[in-house]
Amino acid sequence: MNTQQISTKQISVKRYLPDSSAESYWQQYELPVDDSTSLLDALNHIKEQLDSTLSYRWSCRMAICGSCGVMVNGIPKLGCKTFLRDYEGDIRIEPLSHFPVQRDLVVDMAIFLEHLAAVKPYLIDDNPVKPYDPQAPETYQQSPEQLARYKQFANCINCGLCYSACPQFGLNPEFLGPAAITLAHRYNLDSRDHGKKQRMAELNRHEGVWSCTFVGFCSKVCPKHVDPAAAVNQGKVEAAKHTLIALFKG
Amino acid sequence: MDKSSSQRLPPLKRNWWLKHRFFKLYMLREATVLPLLFFTLCLLAGMVALLQGAESWQGWIAFMGFPTVLVLNLLALAASLFHAATFFVLFPRVMPLRIAGHSLPDKAIVAGQWAGVVAVALLFFWLFGRA
Repeated sequence: MNTQQISTKQISVKRYLPDSSAESYWQQYELPVDDSTSLLDALNHIKEQLDSTLSYRWSCRMAICGSCGVMVNGIPKLGCKTFLRDYEGDIRIEPLSHFPVQRDLVVDMAIFLEHLAAVKPYLIDDNPVKPYDPQAPETYQQSPEQLARYKQFANCINCGLCYSACPQFGLNPEFLGPAAITLAHRYNLDSRDHGKKQRMAELNRHEGVWSCTFVGFCSKVCPKHVDPAAAVNQGKVEAAKHTLIALFKG
Repeated sequence: MDKSSSQRLPPLKRNWWLKHRFFKLYMLREATVLPLLFFTLCLLAGMVALLQGAESWQGWIAFMGFPTVLVLNLLALAASLFHAATFFVLFPRVMPLRIAGHSLPDKAIVAGQWAGVVAVALLFFWLFGRA
């Protein structure tokens, strides 16, 4: 079935094994590849055939789980969506930038999860949830037009590539960052949601939308074409409106 | 939220933007402010000269004719056009426009902004070009 030619390629992986050494170092691996070999396939090959000490995260192999993010030649990418056929010469694999490294390619994403939780990325409804009545079922209804307003921003898989692409997050990790602000914006745009007021307090501060300077690299690296830079900057418009309205209301 | 619960890395070094072409282009966009600052100072000086009288005004006109000043102001024009080009592309992403439930295509918004630039330029030449 597989008629593609198998060749060998070299990849360099930045290793960090805190149990044996405080310093990170580069390690080279030669491995067989064909046209369909993804970076994740390559890492799995290393782990299974060459070096079982290598640590990295992965799960779904199809750009849904968002766990296999790494730096490939300095650019954040999902391992499963990156194909070695697109690279010539040495391929340098590092853990995602701007996050503390735990071991090899595994980073500590706790700060991202904190920022995510801070913006309450879920539907907030003022009315208490009523017990389900099968005779008169109440559903959240939404028209296709209402769905279209936020759908693009709902495709985020929380992979964190945008945080590794964002120099503002690298300069100040308290910045809520692209994905958290995008998800806040996604729920603010949702016709079923009533939580905008609560989220605005988080978004409309220096570490919220105003830390963004529209570098735009987050949108370039996003594997799901969410365009977080657009969401963050739409958030600036909303934050400015919010401030003005608060000013007039006194 | 307890913000001290997770690890923090030291902030990026000052040369972070030299690492990637994309960041260099971003810094170029941001640096367009420097020649524009010079142009703005020129305009400000012109207004002060106008207030101070004819002699001062003639002096300012002569200053604006110096080759270095001309080159710097041409640079400012190029910088403002480059900045406009980047800004116009970003605009539809920040302010997506919808007319009767349909979103306007990005290209139409970008073209509209350039049409605005051309209209203002034409108006300018019509008003001042004959003098």
